[in-house]
Amino acid sequence: MSKKRAATKHGAGLGIGQMLGRLARQREYGMLALLALTVAAVQSINHSFLAAGNLSDMLVQCAPAAIVACGMTFIIVMGEIDISVGSMMGLLAAVVGVLVSKHHYGMSVDLSVLLTLLLGGCLGFINGLLVTVGRVPSIIVTLGMLTVLRGVTEMVLGGEWVTDLPHGLRFLGTGSLAGVPICLIVAAVVAVASIVVATQTPLGRRIYAVGSNPDAARIAGLHETRLKTLVFTLTGFLVAVATVVSVPQLSVIESGIGSGFELLVVTCVVVGGTSIKGGKGTIVGSLLGVLLLGTVRTDLIFLRLGEMSTYWERAIQGAFILAAVLVDHLVRRRGTVEAEA
Amino acid sequence: MRAKCVSRDLTCAAPNSVYSSQYNSLLQSRGTSISSLPLVEVHGISKAFGGVQALSNVSLNIAPGEVHALVGENGAGKSTLIKVLSGYHRPESGRVSVSGADLRLGDIAASEAAGIAVIHQESTAFPHLNTEDNIFVGREPRRFLGLLDRPLIRRRTRELLERLGQDFNPRVPVEELTVAQRQIVGIARALSKQSRLLIMDEPTASLSSRETDILFRLMRQLRSEGVSVLYISHRLEEVFELSDRVTVLRDGQTVRTRQTAEVDRTELIRMMVGRELGDQAAEQRPAQPSSRVMLEVRNLSRAGVFENVSFELRTGEIVGLAGLVGAGRSEVARAIFGIDSPTSGTAAVDGRNLQPGSVRSALQSGVALVPEDRQHQGLVLPMSVGENLVMVIQSLLARCGFRSSRRERPVVEKMIRKLDIRAASEGAAAESLSGGNQQKLVLGKWLATEPRLLLLDEPTRGIDVAAKTEVHSAIRKLADDGMAVLLISSDLSELLLMSDRIVVMRAGSVAGELSRTEATQEKVLHLALPSSDAATTAVGTA
Repeated sequence: MSKKRAATKHGAGLGIGQMLGRLARQREYGMLALLALTVAAVQSINHSFLAAGNLSDMLVQCAPAAIVACGMTFIIVMGEIDISVGSMMGLLAAVVGVLVSKHHYGMSVDLSVLLTLLLGGCLGFINGLLVTVGRVPSIIVTLGMLTVLRGVTEMVLGGEWVTDLPHGLRFLGTGSLAGVPICLIVAAVVAVASIVVATQTPLGRRIYAVGSNPDAARIAGLHETRLKTLVFTLTGFLVAVATVVSVPQLSVIESGIGSGFELLVVTCVVVGGTSIKGGKGTIVGSLLGVLLLGTVRTDLIFLRLGEMSTYWERAIQGAFILAAVLVDHLVRRRGTVEAEA
Repeated sequence: MRAKCVSRDLTCAAPNSVYSSQYNSLLQSRGTSISSLPLVEVHGISKAFGGVQALSNVSLNIAPGEVHALVGENGAGKSTLIKVLSGYHRPESGRVSVSGADLRLGDIAASEAAGIAVIHQESTAFPHLNTEDNIFVGREPRRFLGLLDRPLIRRRTRELLERLGQDFNPRVPVEELTVAQRQIVGIARALSKQSRLLIMDEPTASLSSRETDILFRLMRQLRSEGVSVLYISHRLEEVFELSDRVTVLRDGQTVRTRQTAEVDRTELIRMMVGRELGDQAAEQRPAQPSSRVMLEVRNLSRAGVFENVSFELRTGEIVGLAGLVGAGRSEVARAIFGIDSPTSGTAAVDGRNLQPGSVRSALQSGVALVPEDRQHQGLVLPMSVGENLVMVIQSLLARCGFRSSRRERPVVEKMIRKLDIRAASEGAAAESLSGGNQQKLVLGKWLATEPRLLLLDEPTRGIDVAAKTEVHSAIRKLADDGMAVLLISSDLSELLLMSDRIVVMRAGSVAGELSRTEATQEKVLHLALPSSDAATTAVGTA
């Protein structure tokens, strides 16, 4: 029964498969290597990349994706997906803008932020209910939500821009505490909390269990419905958090905020090693995925492609997601061959 | 095999000297308490699915610290009974009590709370989680702030694995463990829940002999600790080696519960088969052996699946392929049809070798395979009867790439007539048909290719008796018209009724061949059930 015996039994040919499998499970290392490579690449093009200012700018840009990726990791681990986070961010940005704007409701910043966070949670909760109680596949639910929320955003803004953001709200986006930008502090707190939840709490283990084998989870008495609803709600809340600390970086709130954000987040998570089939994935991997895509984006800017850089960014994001899913699939297939032998 | 005990006398020699003291004490304790305090009592359970009565009035009881074997043919109701005990199915009638308290039926949580745990071969594990998480998920020990108490989890996992005599790494995902280790994880989880009854469903099916030994040692140990085991296995040798008592199920009914030491293999098989030679099978069919060999299979092997399979099939002949589920019957058919490539050996149709692994070659030689799972592999349910019938030959009937209803219609009409398919019209959706007619539709779809050799995999599974008879007469008619038919079925009486010869497979090899006159249920089962030696070598090399 020892590991040694198992290894000899499978023979040399499958040793490679096992190694590949192990490597894929330790996707974090591969991610780190890839990240180092991209950083080196950009550093060689532009020697000021690793300067503190640049680095901090890049991290600030990554913050919203990092915050939402934590929730998205749980969702994908459970075998679901949420592609409405971009639209959700758009609506939440519009709402917080309208709430604080003197031309509209003119509420205090505290109250507006609180209401926005609540609304985020509610939107996630609705997604969750539709998936669990409504038994509609999450891709359909959130695709519908994506469209609905865009429409609602237009209605909230009434075709106008919100430009008079009060200083208090702007501070959440641009301010810093002890020299560290607030959005980075928030992202760090969310990340640490998510890692603790994933690895050190029963809740986290149950989320992975349901994603790994729903039938066995039911037999083990786990509440799939509650867990999934909770995870969608959490993600909605995190989208609100990300909105509140990132959108005020801009001086204007318009209806297009957050478009394409869902693709970015899903890409980061999947590239970070979370299996689209559920059961497997880590927060750390997803965060590395965020950094990797963030670095690539900076690379593109430094390459002075101008307008083109946005297009390239999309193409590269897409390529990343395809590559990640393919690797995952190949490893999985090797895995089954191994198991059958 | 265990020495036979002639009576329940407590002085009766225990079979295995190592465990004799335990065995005696078990018998003694049972002598005083067996009837008064069984751990689990199953009383009059009945359960039907659709029109099929899976269990009717099943009763048995399991004593504390007993290994109780449950045996029966394929489809005797063993799996259904397990699912009732584990709360997966709610029976229509009957009750189950655990330690005298009534169990709420159809409630997985209630069964769990009562201490009943099912160790499936693999399915209860969380493949991506490690052993520690697998054991404790759902009941995690916590410490401050509700965080997992990792040190405690670690310690208890180590204790459990030590108790089970295991030393594998509990921190790797269980998908990296061997099948045996995964089962042990399941056992460890059950023990951690203080389960009192472990239900083990074919636990040794994919284990090597060494792993089986370990598992058996473990089960004996658990027995001595007072845990009961309900043991389901096709391997009668294991039943004799391990169990204290054995209950036989047949056609969803309990035949009897006996002390294992009081029965022998032959008697057990007779109980499993039950009815004397099937009355239907008795009606003899005039054997009309043709000399023309239509299919000749020579030493066909597929590594790890089946080995050295040889048999022949003549025109107008129906040859039954018997064996337990997993013996490799369907796999042989798939290899002949070219879905899977054999690693060695040949299959020749009408004297010409088939190209291995080529469905096209098989089709061109006039081979057709009617797969087992008609809903998934056989029919496109929302499409019409007509469309399903011409699906395989559509391109042959097409004109310049367009479908030609003028050419399709006669084929469809002929097939509907020939097989007597009852549908509202040929435009009716396949899903609107009854099970038997759907099955005939699958047959018709392949018959439209005008095959000379028909491979039928479980053609009557899940359809009612009347429909079965219809399918049977359709098959019979085809053979009488000169077609060679290979019939795979888990229904022994069907095989005996239909086949001119029966080839019996066991663990991937041909165990024997019986002519129609010499074939009986007992003989087929004798060949199909693995003896312990054969089983372990076959699995060991797999």
